[in-house]
Amino acid sequence: MTLLIQLLVNGLITGVIYSLLAVSFGTVYRSTRVFHIALGAIYTASAYGIYVGKNAGLAIGVFTGLGVAIVLSLLIEWCIYRPFLKRGSSLGVVLIASLGAYILIENLIALLFGNEVKIIHTGIEPSISVGAFILTRIQIIQFFIGILFLIGSVVAFKKSRFLKAAWAMGDEPLLLEVLGLPVFRLRETIFCFSAILCATASMLVAFDVGIDPHVGLSAILLGAVAVLVGGMDNILGWIFAAFLLAELQSLAIWQFSARWNDAISFALLIFVLLFRPTGLFTKEARIEER
Amino acid sequence: MNYILHLLIMIGIYLILAYSLNLVLGFGGLLSLCHAAFYGIGAYTYTLISMHFHLPFVLCIAASVLITGFIAFLVGIPGLKFRGDPFVLVTLGFQVIIFSILYNWVSLTKGPYGISGIPRPEIFGLKINSLFSYLGLVWISFIIIGIFFYFIYNSPFGLALKALREDERAAESLGKSAYHYFLYAFAISGAIAAIPGALYATYVTYIDPTSFTVDESIFQIAILLVGGSGNFLGPALGTVFMVLLPEALRFLGIPDTIAPNVRQMIYGLILIVLMYFRPQGIVGEFKVR
Repeated sequence: MTLLIQLLVNGLITGVIYSLLAVSFGTVYRSTRVFHIALGAIYTASAYGIYVGKNAGLAIGVFTGLGVAIVLSLLIEWCIYRPFLKRGSSLGVVLIASLGAYILIENLIALLFGNEVKIIHTGIEPSISVGAFILTRIQIIQFFIGILFLIGSVVAFKKSRFLKAAWAMGDEPLLLEVLGLPVFRLRETIFCFSAILCATASMLVAFDVGIDPHVGLSAILLGAVAVLVGGMDNILGWIFAAFLLAELQSLAIWQFSARWNDAISFALLIFVLLFRPTGLFTKEARIEER
Repeated sequence: MNYILHLLIMIGIYLILAYSLNLVLGFGGLLSLCHAAFYGIGAYTYTLISMHFHLPFVLCIAASVLITGFIAFLVGIPGLKFRGDPFVLVTLGFQVIIFSILYNWVSLTKGPYGISGIPRPEIFGLKINSLFSYLGLVWISFIIIGIFFYFIYNSPFGLALKALREDERAAESLGKSAYHYFLYAFAISGAIAAIPGALYATYVTYIDPTSFTVDESIFQIAILLVGGSGNFLGPALGTVFMVLLPEALRFLGIPDTIAPNVRQMIYGLILIVLMYFRPQGIVGEFKVR
């Protein structure tokens, strides 16, 4: 029983990380309709950013990680997505190009730093036992920083007119230009926003378990699964779905083993999409909106 | 010389894979990311059947084709309800699930340890164990399958798939059910992928799940995207290019330690550039949507 409680608590903390990834992937996917696989490369790059930068102090490491993520994200938007947008390419084409960018950057990182796991934080983490379960310090940090960023982004999307316009861009990209809104600036903002969330998640994870060049894709796919399970139009739905995924994986560890984690998250995706193709938490859309 | 024979055998195996995937990707217009899973299921079913029941080679292949085709059919039933991004993600999901099963069902597949000592095939009393005879086997299989696909591509079935790819609603209004046509195409394509799986297993005489990962699926899609899909020439061109590219790099004198990464980087770059300038591949008919 204590094991179950411990695993559920761990699931809650993993859920925070997954939520960050889901919001990071979802904002780009919802407002630009780009299936942003290259976000996986940003995830990896920012962890290597903190790995390199932390030699000069933790704060500098964190800023390096964030900086790398933002610069890379903007570069991908400028050099890849924007030319495709101007050319009027279809979304499938952009998806493949994004995959290409991911493969390119992933292997560039592997070339520079080697394929093996890099540990960022060495030594035993101090831990606190709270009733029936034990938390390590890094888990507590993950939880609170993650929650802070999640609340921040939800509030930002509800309050900021600029981000609301970005959200609307996903529905009617052409209408925004007609309304005189700066489409490219909106896109840049969205890509920065998503890079920051992604880098936060990545650095929090890297600080705990280290980093290798090939983790990005599976991390981003978890975010993508959460977005589709939660439903495209509902940011709280993504977060809820991310927690659902994390808890399901914890239950799977309890019953079977951690090796089934990926299979379970995709099984959930297929199952949910079959019965609710629009995701779990979407309101019924009017016919003319579909 | 052996090196060239080995390359020709690998090209033969990948040609069969490319032509089978072409039916779904090029003709159906469906970006399926689980072809490597069917390739893997083919390899494993062939290996298990041949090692447990000691049946003749042709029978083992036939059995693995049937089983793989049936699994592809089962995967297609839910999978083909989706189009676009959800379809990509769902097929990716099946790829991950099938890989996990191959990896974790240790009592059947020996999981990460892999199965070694797979016997070389014997056809009508002829033992295939030299590279030359293997080359013959692979290419004869390819020619038979190539002719099969040539007729499928040009049959009313292939043309209906093309029509559905171009405009699903219009084709359905002419009485072509997208779901059924795509499902049959998906099952046929999966079933045929079992043959290169079996050929690969007997050629290398060792299989483990890491040969059938998501990356392998991406590689097979890249073959079609580079060469082009939706016709007969594209897959051939893509296969030759993608299989020979790493070998060309080897002759450029890139050290072995960084060669795999450099190769992957070139694949990534090719995908980006190609998608920008020629989304239908070098000689293809189908543009990714």
